[in-house]
Amino acid sequence: MIDFSRGRKVKFYYNDKVIEAYEGESVLAALYAIGYRVFSYSPDGERPRGAFCMIGKCSSCLSMVNGVPNTRICIEPVREGLRVYSQKGFPEVPKVEEVVEAETIVLKPDVLVIGGGPAGLQASLTLAEYGLKVVLVDEHFKLGGQLVKQTHRFFGAKKFYGGIRGFNIASKLSREVMDNENIEVFLRAYAYGIFKNGYVGVAVRGEKPLNLLVRPKAIVAGVGASEKMIMFENNDLPGVMGAGGAQTLMNEYGIKPGERALVIGAGNVGLIIAYQLLQAGVKVHGIAEIMPKIGGWFVHAAKVRRYGVKIYTRHTITKAIGRDRVEKAEIAMVDEHFQPIPGSEKVFDTDLVLLAVGLQPNYAFFSQAGAVMKYIPELGGLVPLRTKYLETSVENLYVAGDASGIEEATTAFIEGEIAALSIAIKLGAGNNKTIKKREELLDYLWNEYRKSPVVMRACQGKLKATVSEEEMEKIRRGELDGI
Amino acid sequence: MVMKTRIAIIGAGIIGVMIARFLVEKGVNDIVLIEKNYPGSGGSFRCATGIRASFTSPEHVEMMKRSIELWPILSEKHGFTYRRDGYIWLLSEEEHVEMFKKIVEFHHRYAVPTKIITPEEIKEMVPTINTENLLAGVYDPLAGKADCFRALLNTLEYVKNKGAKVLTRTKAEKIIIKDSRAQAVETNKGVIEAEKIIVAAGYGSKKILKNSGVDIPLENLPKHALITEAYKPLFKPLLIDWSTASYIIQVLHGGFLIGANMKEKPDTIPVNRIEYLYLAVKIWSKYFKWLPYTRILRYWTGYYVMTPDHHPVIGPHSRIENLYIATGFSGHGFMMAPSVGEIMSQYILGEKLSVPIAKNLKLERFEKGKYVKEIAIFG
Repeated sequence: MIDFSRGRKVKFYYNDKVIEAYEGESVLAALYAIGYRVFSYSPDGERPRGAFCMIGKCSSCLSMVNGVPNTRICIEPVREGLRVYSQKGFPEVPKVEEVVEAETIVLKPDVLVIGGGPAGLQASLTLAEYGLKVVLVDEHFKLGGQLVKQTHRFFGAKKFYGGIRGFNIASKLSREVMDNENIEVFLRAYAYGIFKNGYVGVAVRGEKPLNLLVRPKAIVAGVGASEKMIMFENNDLPGVMGAGGAQTLMNEYGIKPGERALVIGAGNVGLIIAYQLLQAGVKVHGIAEIMPKIGGWFVHAAKVRRYGVKIYTRHTITKAIGRDRVEKAEIAMVDEHFQPIPGSEKVFDTDLVLLAVGLQPNYAFFSQAGAVMKYIPELGGLVPLRTKYLETSVENLYVAGDASGIEEATTAFIEGEIAALSIAIKLGAGNNKTIKKREELLDYLWNEYRKSPVVMRACQGKLKATVSEEEMEKIRRGELDGI
Repeated sequence: MVMKTRIAIIGAGIIGVMIARFLVEKGVNDIVLIEKNYPGSGGSFRCATGIRASFTSPEHVEMMKRSIELWPILSEKHGFTYRRDGYIWLLSEEEHVEMFKKIVEFHHRYAVPTKIITPEEIKEMVPTINTENLLAGVYDPLAGKADCFRALLNTLEYVKNKGAKVLTRTKAEKIIIKDSRAQAVETNKGVIEAEKIIVAAGYGSKKILKNSGVDIPLENLPKHALITEAYKPLFKPLLIDWSTASYIIQVLHGGFLIGANMKEKPDTIPVNRIEYLYLAVKIWSKYFKWLPYTRILRYWTGYYVMTPDHHPVIGPHSRIENLYIATGFSGHGFMMAPSVGEIMSQYILGEKLSVPIAKNLKLERFEKGKYVKEIAIFG
């Protein structure tokens, strides 16, 4: 169904062994493809760690790359001659023979967009349409965010790419962004904080490292989300993987993540990943869901059931079993307090435990910026308070996409566009039509898209995170805490 | 709420906790610690964790020497890490070497065993350091470091187990004084009556005392610090680059913590400044070429609570009975905390002071113009 066109062949070294890979792959994907499963060890050096998030958010694949330790090889592109070593425990300080000094560059664009996922791409293109100069940064070596691993055709309005597969949307938008002369893109670029006088520090890695000092008039932070983890024995054993991590392997790189899987969580992600595993030829033992009911949509549940995959409601994982990788996993039924019931355990022969237990918004950038944050369970965790135009309590800092609370890619596109239109209006680049367009979008988002019963919970969360402009003014003046 | 206690301590930083610790050790358990935020949330958890006696006034040297005697005892009893890992001052200018020769002589008079060392000797203790521009170093083998988190939290746990209470998120507003006697602490959650009241609230002490009619000359000087990700142990001593008065220390959990001087106005609220990151990395990448390839994990700001003579205010108030003060540590509170705790407990219980010269550190010295004298100000 998906054509994986591979790039040029390159050779790199892993623990001094020659590894063949294809350009465009991450180091981790290349290693996974040929059977590596252990990529680092816990800080005490005792417990092996495998691939978990695959998008540069966790610490499971920290390795030494060209002498620099603590490098996340899941977002490190393979290159000819790269020297990669695995780490055991805390690393020694970097071994650098030749210091390549990072060049400091000051940039003063109209808008800085952080994150090249659906929200950031849409925001950048919209801003560019209004003639605004945009700097777009992303810590990965390619644009698209998590769209790149979404193989399904999108629902919803044509305007927001209904009917197109996620990865095709990603390549279309990425191309448009790259070709747009109003947008300057920096990849492998990590925005680490906002400082005095509105400077944002961005570290750009690569052969020519850069220190960007970006002083924009406004910022759209579409910084996405991270996979959640749950507590159980050996939850760090290689083979315990985030559902998104497995999607990256299968859908982005065409790599089979394992042979026999157990999925934890029967929300949409859990159901879809089970189906995708089946398509990739992985045996799926079952799906454990702690709640009494399946959380995901009926169509998805029916699909996996047709393949004979059993969904164990009122069940949770109690342990992963294995020496240096998952060999078995145990689930158990839970009581009304979600505690495992002794004697109800079931053990499966499996090499893959996929956690589809939800996402949490990446909040660090907003927290550091001093935005007023609120913990909203319906949105997956801590999010910045915002107006309906998506401006946070830090003036001119806008939030969009999963970072504003977990929904899905369509709402990320819409939020990215609303934030961009609001900035265009604020910076005087818009006109009455812009305002009208924004109102139409807000109307579509709140009165149509989010009215669907399947997104009710997230919609309630978004309501809780949204304050009026008057309230936001009070929050900024410290007269209202907003929480 | 009206609460009664024998001892009320305002501030649950390392100073307040150590005072409580030495009191409970002597059987005084009826203690309430009043903390406006959470324990350690002021300077204690933001400090560089360094501990040394190599100062330049008899008062500092004696107080710190007593602290260095107490740190290992506390570390063993309360189960936190303390190590005599040393300090090295890195000297790159001839006049600095000459000045430090005099300081070392002063130290030796007080039995503080500092010594001038060569760049080669520095290299032996500090692998990977570039000593190209260095003329010499000053090594203090008696100096060390402790885990600031565990030191405070474990000691606090001990104190609580002995019966002391901690009120967090409780802000002391003023001390109620009648007939020149301190009687109670007024907080945002009610009044706490106490036989003895100790103000150990860092810079916050100034406002509390002012509301109570007592002036104390304190200034809050903003400071910046950053820490890298954790690495395997590379070197033990805390290093001070004397020409920039900047320091680097590999803290006990492995990160490299750097403090460098930024020009800041006293009593202002510090803002995160990107120049700080650049400055800190610039100073120390001259010594460690690997530094630009490490990742900065955190950057934070805090304060040195300064007094006019850069020495703390420790002891009873001269005119108000039952009021005691321990603040103004001018950047050296964590290291001095054990001896301060001991001395304060001795004042409160009417015992002989284990460091007699501590009597020079009372608040009244500023009224009398008797500032503490130093032979040189450094570090």
